Amino acid sequence: MLPRLLVLLAALLSLRLRSGARGKELPSPPSVWFEAEFFHHILHWMPIQNQSDSTYFEVELLRYGEEHWESISSCSQTLVLSCDLTMVTLDLYRSSGYRAKVRAVDGRKHSNWTITRTRFSLDEVNLTVGSVKLETHNGLILGQIQLPRPKMAPEGDTYESIFPYFREYEIAIRKVPGNYKLSKKVKHENFSFPTSGEMGEFCVQVKPSVDSRVNKGIWSKEACIVLSQQYFTVTNLSIFFTFVLLLCGVLAYHLVLQLYVRRRGTLPAVLVFKKSSPFNLISQLLSPEIQDTIHPINEEAFSKVSLGLRNSELHGSTDSGFGSAKPSLQTEDPQFLLPDPHPQVRGTLGKGAALELENNCSGGSSNSTDSGICLQEPNLSPGMVPSWEQQVRSSSQGQDDSGIGLVQNSEGRPGDVQDGSALGHVSSLGPEVTEEEDPAAVAFQGYRKQTRDTEVKAAKAGCLEEESSSADGFGPPVRMCLDAEEAWPPPALAKGYLKQDPPEVTLAPSQAPAGQWNHPTEEWSLLGLTSCGHLGTSDWSFAHGRAPLNCVAAPGSLLGSFDSDLVTLPLISTLQSSE
Amino acid sequence: MKAQRVSLWLLGTMLSLCSAHARGLRRCLISMDMSHVEETFQDIKRAIQAKDTFQNVTILSTSETLHRIKPSDVCCVTKNLLAFYVDRVFKDHQELDPQILRKISSIANSFLYMRKVLQQCQEQRLCPCRQEATNATRIIHDNYQQLEVRSAAIKSLGELDILLAWIDKNHQGTPTA
Repeated sequence: MLPRLLVLLAALLSLRLRSGARGKELPSPPSVWFEAEFFHHILHWMPIQNQSDSTYFEVELLRYGEEHWESISSCSQTLVLSCDLTMVTLDLYRSSGYRAKVRAVDGRKHSNWTITRTRFSLDEVNLTVGSVKLETHNGLILGQIQLPRPKMAPEGDTYESIFPYFREYEIAIRKVPGNYKLSKKVKHENFSFPTSGEMGEFCVQVKPSVDSRVNKGIWSKEACIVLSQQYFTVTNLSIFFTFVLLLCGVLAYHLVLQLYVRRRGTLPAVLVFKKSSPFNLISQLLSPEIQDTIHPINEEAFSKVSLGLRNSELHGSTDSGFGSAKPSLQTEDPQFLLPDPHPQVRGTLGKGAALELENNCSGGSSNSTDSGICLQEPNLSPGMVPSWEQQVRSSSQGQDDSGIGLVQNSEGRPGDVQDGSALGHVSSLGPEVTEEEDPAAVAFQGYRKQTRDTEVKAAKAGCLEEESSSADGFGPPVRMCLDAEEAWPPPALAKGYLKQDPPEVTLAPSQAPAGQWNHPTEEWSLLGLTSCGHLGTSDWSFAHGRAPLNCVAAPGSLLGSFDSDLVTLPLISTLQSSE
Repeated sequence: MKAQRVSLWLLGTMLSLCSAHARGLRRCLISMDMSHVEETFQDIKRAIQAKDTFQNVTILSTSETLHRIKPSDVCCVTKNLLAFYVDRVFKDHQELDPQILRKISSIANSFLYMRKVLQQCQEQRLCPCRQEATNATRIIHDNYQQLEVRSAAIKSLGELDILLAWIDKNHQGTPTA
């Protein structure tokens, strides 16, 4: 009986051992632990020895303080040594923690459970940051720490809510050129550090921590920023564009001013003066109206001028002696001798007088208000010596005017006073012409100076030089000065002349103020003609009027007397009569 | 007018009580540096908790205890738990490892200082104990007594992290020196 019981007991023990050996054939995982970050809880375990391909692991989870273990089937995968238990441990941050155990299973064999050595709690969560953003501003690097925002975290369980106080961050700054490091601790998610003007790449790492907790922190990934010299800053660009706008505004203003405000007014055509050009000069030369040219008087024309020229043919009262346009003048022979006008005066006088004559001639003869020779303005020619204005007596007026009036001498007698009067102001003879008188008897109605001697002297000073230079014959230089010295005041001051008596009465004007006109004329006229008979017609211009004076100058005494008796009308008439 | 006066009076009373409560609790623990205790425990937590084999039993974190303590009872419960650890847990645990023993001793000394400060606040009537606080303390004591003393002591030492987290949670915003 007893042996049977022993055999049965042995059989039962062997069966139990076999079953136990099969259940424990597999070694249990050596260790099981949690590796957790903020809402990222991973259970890890170590593999077993002699692990086969069919070996898998079972995981169970226990909430600390509860009685039952929860099996996590999602972790039962082959050849997997970790399992994500985040979803089953979401209340980790508000509970006492969890315990987990793992065992190996291979077919029908399984290992013992291996439990986590510590209670998985909030203290075992490693702190991390989400990301780090860097930017530069005024030489500073500004950093902003982004806290983790896991998707599986329950609503309301944020990093800030779980760790509301004493959050800290350790910042490590690494500069790439030079590779030096700098670390600092900040207590806020925003930080900054100066670059001290350095340029290059700056890399920043952040490790979070909670001062009141023992949680470990994990360094974040490096965030780098490159600093370079900025020329195109907002400030610089704004200043540049402001200056550009101001410049454009100024340019636009000036442009508008030039185009629309300061419009050039165009002068009326009447006021437009033609510019001098060679062609203009030529045209001026050819123009009979040019004032500064001297037109030599045709000797033949002058030959027609005689003392017996009628006033009517020449002019009215407005016409002066030099009626160059008058044909009668041109036919007259030069019958009288006139002192050489001043060279300067000659040229100017010729033109001026001609113009005046023209004007006066064209002005109408009926007008009796104007005297015969209307001299131009004194400034017309600098050397204009003639200082008197010849008053031409019009036929209608009678005795109001006196002066040289060129009267056509039908007889062509030489020695007409009119010839001298054609020179107008040059003539010192001042012949009077009266249309009523016989041509021969037409006296050279002279005129006498009415001005002072002082003005004559002034004119004389300028004319003495010319006089000396033109001593040869009766050249062009008009020696008006000689005459002016004696009897003629400067033209500017001459304000008129008095009509003189007919030559038969007296050629010497009775009203000669200076008395110089009273010089007897007989001597003068006679000698002038004889000595100057060889005078060519070509010389008859204003100079012609003077030529006789030059000729007369040869006999010095006579010349001297002539000089003083330029207005000796009776001399001319005497000459004519003698011839 | 009377209703307004009454409402204003009630509001003022509540504000004064809250401020007094906050001032009282925070004033009692304002000079305590809990981070040192926490760091010390972390060094021995793995060794202590590894010895705890009864994982389905908890002494402190039960649904009837720490999670249901009201803010007005925090000061009293804190004082009672500090006394529990100093009078029963540290004395019942027998540690053979000197390094672990040294750190446990450091934690015990910190608990002695904290309990003394809270006792002074209680004498000054700044830390009143109501019935709810007394009941919560009795439950914890009953849980501790259901286990064998050595296992209970190991388990209680293993749950120091729960106690320190609870104290840190109820006293947040009061920076310690």
